[in-house]
This record gives sequence, C-alpha cells and structure tokens, in this order.
Amino acid sequence: MRTTMHMHGRLATLALVLVFVFVGMAAFAGGAQEAAVERDTITIAIGAEPEALDPVNMTSAPAATVGEHAIQRLIYMEEDGSLTPMLATEWESSADGTEWTFQIRQGVQFHDGEPLNAEAVKANLDRFVDPEVGAAYAFLLGSVEEIEAVSEYELRLHLAEPFAPILSHLSHSFIGIISPASFADLGPDDTTDAAVGTGPYELVEWSRGDSITMVRNEDYWGPAPEIPHLVFRFIPEDSARMVALETGEADAVMRVPPQDADRLDADPEIDVVYQTSVRTIYIGFNSQSEPFDDPLVRKAFNYAVDKDAIVDAILDGNAFVADAPVVPAVFGHTSVGPYEYDPDRARELLAEAGYPDGLSATLHHPTGRYLLDSTIAEAVQGMLTEVGLDITLETREWGAYLDFTGQPVDQAEYQMFMLGWGTVTLDSDYGLYALLHTRQWNPAGNNRGFYSNERVDDILDRARVETDPSVREELYAEAIELIWDDAPWLYLHNEGQINAQRADVGGLIHHPLENVSAWEAFFIDD
Amino acid sequence: MYQYIARRLLLTVPVIFGVAILVFSIIRLIPGDPARAIAGVQASPEFIQQVRARYRLDEPLPVQFGIFLGDLARGELGRSTFSRRPVATEIGERFPRTFLLAMTALVIATIVGVSAGIVSATRRNSMFDNVSMLFALVGVAAPVFWMALMLQLLFAVNMRILPATGIGTWRHLVLPSITLGMASAGLMARITRSSMLEVLRQDFITTARAKGLNERFVIYKHALKNALIPVVTVMGLQFGILLGGAVLTETVFAWPGIGRLLVDSILRRDYPVVQGTVMLMAFLFVIINLVVDITYAFLDPRIHYQGEAGE
Amino acid sequence: METNEIPGTGTQSRGYEEAEIPAVDLEDDVSTGTVAPRRRRGVSEWHQVGKHLLRNRGAVIGLLIIGIFVIGAVFAPVLTTHNPIQNNLTMRLQSPSTTHWLGTDALGRDLYSRMLYGSRISLNIGLISVVIGVAVGVPIGAISGFYGGKLDIFTQRIIDIMIAFPGILLAIIVVTVLGVGVQNVMIATGIASVPIYARLVRGSVLAAKEQSYVEAARAAGLGDASIVFRHILPNCLAPIIVQSTFQIATSILWAAGLGFLGLGAQAPMPEWGAILSDGRAYIRTAHHLTTYPGLAILFMVLGFNLLGDGLRDALDPRSRGN
Repeated sequence: MRTTMHMHGRLATLALVLVFVFVGMAAFAGGAQEAAVERDTITIAIGAEPEALDPVNMTSAPAATVGEHAIQRLIYMEEDGSLTPMLATEWESSADGTEWTFQIRQGVQFHDGEPLNAEAVKANLDRFVDPEVGAAYAFLLGSVEEIEAVSEYELRLHLAEPFAPILSHLSHSFIGIISPASFADLGPDDTTDAAVGTGPYELVEWSRGDSITMVRNEDYWGPAPEIPHLVFRFIPEDSARMVALETGEADAVMRVPPQDADRLDADPEIDVVYQTSVRTIYIGFNSQSEPFDDPLVRKAFNYAVDKDAIVDAILDGNAFVADAPVVPAVFGHTSVGPYEYDPDRARELLAEAGYPDGLSATLHHPTGRYLLDSTIAEAVQGMLTEVGLDITLETREWGAYLDFTGQPVDQAEYQMFMLGWGTVTLDSDYGLYALLHTRQWNPAGNNRGFYSNERVDDILDRARVETDPSVREELYAEAIELIWDDAPWLYLHNEGQINAQRADVGGLIHHPLENVSAWEAFFIDD
Repeated sequence: MYQYIARRLLLTVPVIFGVAILVFSIIRLIPGDPARAIAGVQASPEFIQQVRARYRLDEPLPVQFGIFLGDLARGELGRSTFSRRPVATEIGERFPRTFLLAMTALVIATIVGVSAGIVSATRRNSMFDNVSMLFALVGVAAPVFWMALMLQLLFAVNMRILPATGIGTWRHLVLPSITLGMASAGLMARITRSSMLEVLRQDFITTARAKGLNERFVIYKHALKNALIPVVTVMGLQFGILLGGAVLTETVFAWPGIGRLLVDSILRRDYPVVQGTVMLMAFLFVIINLVVDITYAFLDPRIHYQGEAGE
Repeated sequence: METNEIPGTGTQSRGYEEAEIPAVDLEDDVSTGTVAPRRRRGVSEWHQVGKHLLRNRGAVIGLLIIGIFVIGAVFAPVLTTHNPIQNNLTMRLQSPSTTHWLGTDALGRDLYSRMLYGSRISLNIGLISVVIGVAVGVPIGAISGFYGGKLDIFTQRIIDIMIAFPGILLAIIVVTVLGVGVQNVMIATGIASVPIYARLVRGSVLAAKEQSYVEAARAAGLGDASIVFRHILPNCLAPIIVQSTFQIATSILWAAGLGFLGLGAQAPMPEWGAILSDGRAYIRTAHHLTTYPGLAILFMVLGFNLLGDGLRDALDPRSRGN
C-alpha cells in the first residue's frame, strides 16, 4: 500500500511539474521567437478602442488617432495650431466671409484607386451633414448651407453667415474624406469601417477589442512612411499598457500615468515625452442656486483650493494650473489667473457673503474619466474642509453622471460638478461658447452650471462672425477677463499629456490634440 | 431518459424568455440617457434627438420591447449603438476568445485540482496534503484581479518570460488562464479530496480491499469513478462561472472577450450589445446546467427522471 | 466536502431536483456543499457542535482570523494612529515606517488606519448582504418548497432566470442601476445571493416535509405557518448557516471586484476594494497600496471559508461521529 501511495504522489507531482514546464517552455520558446522578428512594424499601445473608422461615426480621441493614418481631411492642424494644406492646397474667402473656395489637391488616389476630386469631397461633406446619416460632429459644419463642386478640383462652401472658425473646424480629424465608392451603396444608417482614405497607411485588419493593423500606402501622394507596418493595440489598464512598453511589446504608449513617468524616464531604453493637451479640468458651480449664485462664494472656493499642490503632488507636476477657461494653445487665450491659494482670503469672502461659519455642499465627480479625477476630488474636499466648508463627495458612473449634470435649470439637483473640456479646434469659440453662453444652458448645450452674463454673451456672439483675427483676439480677451472674474467654475488645471516610446524610435509626432502619428517614424539602428 | 432531456430542453424556453424580459427591463432602469452616452459630452441636443430616433429610444417602452422581441424571433440581435455593427458580429468575434480562455482555465484547473485532490486524499494529513490544501484555500480566497496584477508583475515585468497583455499566440494565454483557473483549481482539489475520502470509507471499497485487490486498482477502478461524480458536476458549473467571471481577468490582461465587452457596453449604455451578451451567457449557463444534470444522471444510476413532480 | 452530494450517504432517495442543488451552492466561487437536514437540535447538541468546531484546526484558525478583524473593526477608533480621511499631501506615498505602519496613500493618508476602518466596511458588506440574501431567499425557498404545485414551478423558473446570470454580473448590473456606494454594493451582492438561498432552502424543505415529525405536526392540527417556522425551518438552519459563512466570503470578494471596476464605495470611504483599486495606479512605485489590501481581503475570505468548512463538519452528525 505504501508503494502505491507513493506512486500517486509521484503522478501528481509529475502533473504539477508538467504544468510548470509548460509555462516555462512557453516563456522561452516565445522569447526566442521575438528576437527573430525583423523590425518592420511599429506598435503603438493606446488606452481605448476607436468606435469606428467611418468619419460619420467617429466620436473619440482614439478614433482620431488611428483614423488619421488612413483618412485625411482638407486642412491639417500643426502642433503649433497653424493650419496647413492637406487635401486642399489653397483656400480663400469672399469679402463678406460667406463663401469659401478650396483648391483640391490633384493627382491623389484613394486606397481603392479612385481619384480624389471636388465631387468626391462634396459627396463626403454632404454625407457628413446629412441629418439622415446623423454624424455626431455634423455641428462642426453647422454654418454651411451648401456644398458646391465648382470644377473638377475646385470646391465652394456657402455659409449662411460669416463663421470665423470654419477653417479650424474643417481641420477636425472627424471631417475625413474617404472614397465615395466605399459608401455609395450604404443606406443612411449604415457605416463602413473599411477606412478607404488617402492616408499614408492603409487598413489591413481590425481585430476587435485587440488591435488595428495597417500597411504602408505605396501610392501615397506625400513622402512615403519609412516603417512598412503599423499596429495600434488597445490596452485599457494603465499598468498593463506600461508593461507592454517596458517589455517591448509596444514601441510607444499613450497616456502614461503621471506617477509612472519618472520611473519610466529612468529606464535608458525608454523616452518619456511630455506634451500639452487642449483639455482643461474644472469644477462647475450651479450659478442659479444658493449658495453658488453669489460670486463671492464662488471666488472663495477658488481661493481655498491649492491648485499648485494638486498639480505638483497628485499629478507629479505633469499638468498646468489653469490661468484661463481655455488652454494657452487656443486662439484667443489670455492669461488672467490663477486665483492664488489664500485660505484666509477665502474665509473673509465667505464671511462677507454671509457664511462666516462655512457651508455645506456636495461635489459631484466622475471616477476614472480624467487623470486621477477621484483622487483630485478628494484633495479638493480636504482643502475646502480646511477653510471650514463641509463638502460631501458623490460620484456616478460616467453615463449616469452626464445625465445627472445635464438636467435643465429647474430640475438640476447639483451644486458642484467636476468636468473636463478639450477645445479640439484650438479656437476659443469652441471652448467658451458651448460652455458659458446663456443660450447653451442645459439641455440646449453644455453650459451645465447655468452661467449667464449678458456682456459675455454679446462678445461671444460678435466674435463668432467677426472675420478679422486681431479683433477676435481682443474680443476673447475681454470675455475671458469677465468670465474669470465671475468665477462660474473652480478653475483647476490643464491636463498635460504624457506619452512614452522606446528609445530606438524616432520621428513620432506627439500632437497636442492627443494624437500620436507614425507617418514620419523610423527605427534608430545602433 | 430522452423524455427527461426533451422536457428539460423545453423548460429552457421560458427561462430564456424570462431572461430576455429581465435584461430588457433592468438595463432600462440604469440611470443615464443612452442617447447622451452614445453622443458624448460635446454633442448638440439635435444630435441627441437624432440618436434617440435612430435607435428608436423615443418609442414607449412596450413598443421597444415588442421591437426587441420581434428582432429576437427573427434571430436578429440589433446593432451596437457604439460601433453601429450588428451585435451578432460583435459577439461572434469576441466569444471564441472568452471560450478559449475559459476552456484553458478549466483544463488547467481540472488537471491540477483533481490530481492534487486525489493525492491529498490518499495521503491524508501528509505534507503534500497540507500544503496543497493551503494552496487550494488561498486560490479560492485571493481576489482574482489582485492575483492577476501580481502574476503580471512577476512573470511579465520582473522575469520578462511571458507577454503581459493581448492575444495572438498561446503564450498570451498562459497568465490569464492560470489566473482565471486558480479559484476553480482550488475548489476542485478540495472537492476531489473530500469526495475521495468519502468514497474510500464506503463498504464496497472495504470489501474490495478485503478481497485483496491491489490498492492502486481499488483506487482507480472503484474509488475514483465514484468520487468523480461530484467533480464532473463542479466542472460543468465552473465552466459557466468561468465564462461569466472572465470580466476581471479580461480587464487586467486586455483580453478582448465578451466579459469585457459586456462591462464596456453597460458603461456605454449600448443596450443591444448588453442584451445580446447577457442572453448568450444565460443561454450557455442554462445549457451547461442541463448537460451537467444529464451527465449526473448517467453517472449516478440512483437518480430518477420524474422531473418536476419528482418529490 | 462531506456532503449529501456524495453518493451512498444521503438518507433520502434523490429526485433530480436535489441533483440540482450543487448548481446552487456552487454558484459562487467559495462554497462547496451543505449538510442534509436532520432532526431538530437541542441545546446540548449545539454544545456538541461547538466542541467539535473547536477541535477543528482549520475552524479555529478561521475564527482567530475573523476575531482579529472584528477586534480591529470594533476598536478601530482606539487602535488607529491617524485620521483615515485626513489628507496630507506632503506625506504622500510614503513606504511603511514607524509613524505610518503600512505607509501612506496618494493623498498622504495613513494606510493602516484606513485598513482598520475598512475592515468595518468589509465585515458590514459581508454580513448585511447575507442578511438581505437570507431575508429574501429563505422565505421564497420555504414557501416554494412547502406549497409546491404551480407556485413552486413559477418560483423555480424565476430562480432559474436569476441563476442564469453569473453572480458577479448580476451584482454589476444592480450596482449600475442603483448607483455607486457601499449600501448599494450590499444590496447588489445580497440580491445576487437570493437565488442561492432560495434553492438551498427549497431543497431542504422538500426533504423535511416528508419527515414523520412534520406529518405528526400536521396531524396535531398545526397551521402551515407554525409547521414551517417551528418544525421545518429550524431543520434547515444548518445548511443556511454554513452557506452564509461562505456567502460572507463571496460577498466580500464580489464587493472588491465591484470596487475594482469603479462601481464600489464612494471616496473617501476606505473600502478595501476601493483602496486596492486606487492603489493599482501606484503598483510599480508604491506597491504597499496594493499588497496590503489584497492580503487583507485574502485573509478575511480565508477566515470565513475555514470557519465555513469547520461549521459544515461540525453540523454534520455523520462526520462528527468519525
């Protein structure tokens, strides 16, 4: 009996050993494979998957990042915010600013071999604004009344009234031009993810949930990319994405958590890239309900929060204290802030407003939407407590949060809400009008705090139709000063972007619009 | 027997129908306007209205339910409000991955768990027994996502011998399937052990031993067969649980399966995908239960097949 | 797992409905099985159970672990060294030291103090969700089993439908409906355990119904309610107690999983799952934020599982006889 018992022991041990051997072999076999692979592929790991690669169904930053490698638009926005020709070579407006004429680039082919011309662009733009199709970003061309193909390579947009930011709107990644043949047979509800554009890379495969693979477009109209293959991988978990970079599974990653930046930077094989973003984070006050209908209270809150501490400590210095309601890169930005951290001043203002013993309020915040959002909310709560305020935190899952903070003024149950806004057109109109104009109160727009100032409204209206950039700049400067002084928000910080790449990768473009572009990338041989 | 199977199959129909009603109503209780979730923060109210119309979210609930049932009857699961692709395609791409993961986890759990359980039972209170039962308890008690992070750190970051995330080769499968299978392995080890112990106490084993049969023969021929009945049950049920429980593992290892799809879709208010995924999981669960019961019936001749009025 | 699923030990002949019982109590990751209902237990028998339990090494370790956490939870205000929700940005992400025994978190809060208060929350989640599960599941199971017929068939299908959702998914959906917060986590995990209890009790009631003492009670003219409450349910107590011990462990794990998905407690509440979830951002730079809460959850779950094992053995006269 003892011997048989022994046997079973051996059997089980054998089984266990086999499992470990299996794991071990897997490891080493794989390791050998990796070394053998030639470097003809650049892999970029991003945090989320695009929802679509059809311009009419694109809504997210990942869609823009991936999409612009295959699909291009008429105008490209450089890293410094300047507008340069892409599929349109030149453009001009009529004297009254209601007609814009574009020259379409000649000799360009879509990936399917179809030629690019004014008709093709018109077909795309028509589809983009077609209410039946329902493109999420159709409002970008809301001012356009008619799209006309004047000749083979000349396109004209007719506007109802002058709309100053039209060019930056046209540079938006979502107004991409794809081969008309790829959507000719589609019904209004149908979309195509074939991404048949004119870009430097062509879509090869979209493995849902995992990756998108592209190959170099050999007929590209511009300088052809050096690296033949491009892969975008979707890794939502931050730590896992960083691991992918460290192990070399990815050549570059987006959205490095601030607390990991120093550690990665210390790795000689990894370069950390810091770039600004266009997103500002703020805590909106409900300006139509007590106690936040009193500007003194709103200012007191602004003085009570140590923004530097949030930026330096929690975000490890990888953000910028907000000095205006839009980020500095935006056209029309003027530096007017920040409200210096001054708890005594905060107490004084509260006393002046009739709250010498402080007050109670609830701060609503999302979790996991913005960099360290709930940790920042906790820090803000702690700082407000210091000046005698009694703040309760309340979070909601994102879908519910948007709904909760999207109620009309008579039903709004919130006092303070944390949100972020990216001014992706780099024009103040996009950042100020939608968030702070009285006509944009919920549910019409995104003025969730019901801020209202007639003078601000008037200035924003005028700046929209003004065609002279220098006049617009002055108008926005005036508006921003008024808005800053009214303190409809607790101004927090502008998020910085942190990306990272393997040290042997060069030429990647890390764009302020939260894109990473690979068409100029190359591997550095040593 | 066939009658029993037929009746059980028939009984799954109302269950699936019930699941459909439950899924339909419960996700509509979730606060948050789906049209707004689809459209995003920067969308205009007109666009939100369009979205509502496109997905017929502006219809009264009973009408929506009618549409849903009508589609379902035609085998049509609708379209994702996120990607606008057919739900069947979305699920079809991801389900095989979750299936592969759960199946591998189950195989690992069974091999490790059952062999450890047998040895522990035959060498009760030995060092092996104590250590493996301790592992079994820890395997069951450790939070799965925590274990996932720890394994990832150890094998992918520190030792660099396995990929941390993603799919593609079988190397990618190792860490997620071990993580996922750990709790099941612990459970199976414990069940095999106690079941073996129980059987080894039985009269027929004593008789067999008394007849002077070889101990190994006794254990494998007589004891194991009987002891494995509860193990088989557990295996089947664990498979269902693994399919559903893959959510957390899939998140940490960026494994693009249906568990992750379901959670993402709940957060995006992608009703058609949530409906489709939950229906599929429920259906599988019901089928697995059925298979387990039938296997059980085959293995244990004392079970009668009267069905509902059994008692 | 000395249980009634194991062939040759059951006292009653098995209908297929009983064969389904494992489908119920194996729903979760933790539990294994239950004892068959037997005769009512007197005071001296409970005494026996207690004695048996204390002779079981695993159960004693389990009780010890739970005891430590309970003491920590009850005396948290005395035992803590810092205010668990007091930020101190200059002391953030400190490694364990003599001032901060388990280090500090991203806002400079003392992890040890947070963990102590967190044990209150986790124990509460475990206990209250079990109370919810029992309060809803037991009556459903008892009524369904006792009256049988159409009502039973109907109830069983409802339970089938609920069981068709894997537990954690049911909990995820319920929390999404109710919103984030510890109370809602309790409700969600409680609801997710309802079908488990309903099945378990129904099976036990079905078995007990056939026993002679029930027939005697009926012959003596007792009403349904008093038969169920005074004669049948006391006999189902053992499996319910055992299941509940395992269920506490399962609920704690589910709650931590919900916390990981961002559907757990409201900040700044020091719930373990939430601490762990926040801490994973710092797993490479301040691993104590993931290690300690992970271990705490592991040990607490282990404690309840060990106790559950011991209770099951102790409550089973068959194994007590050995």
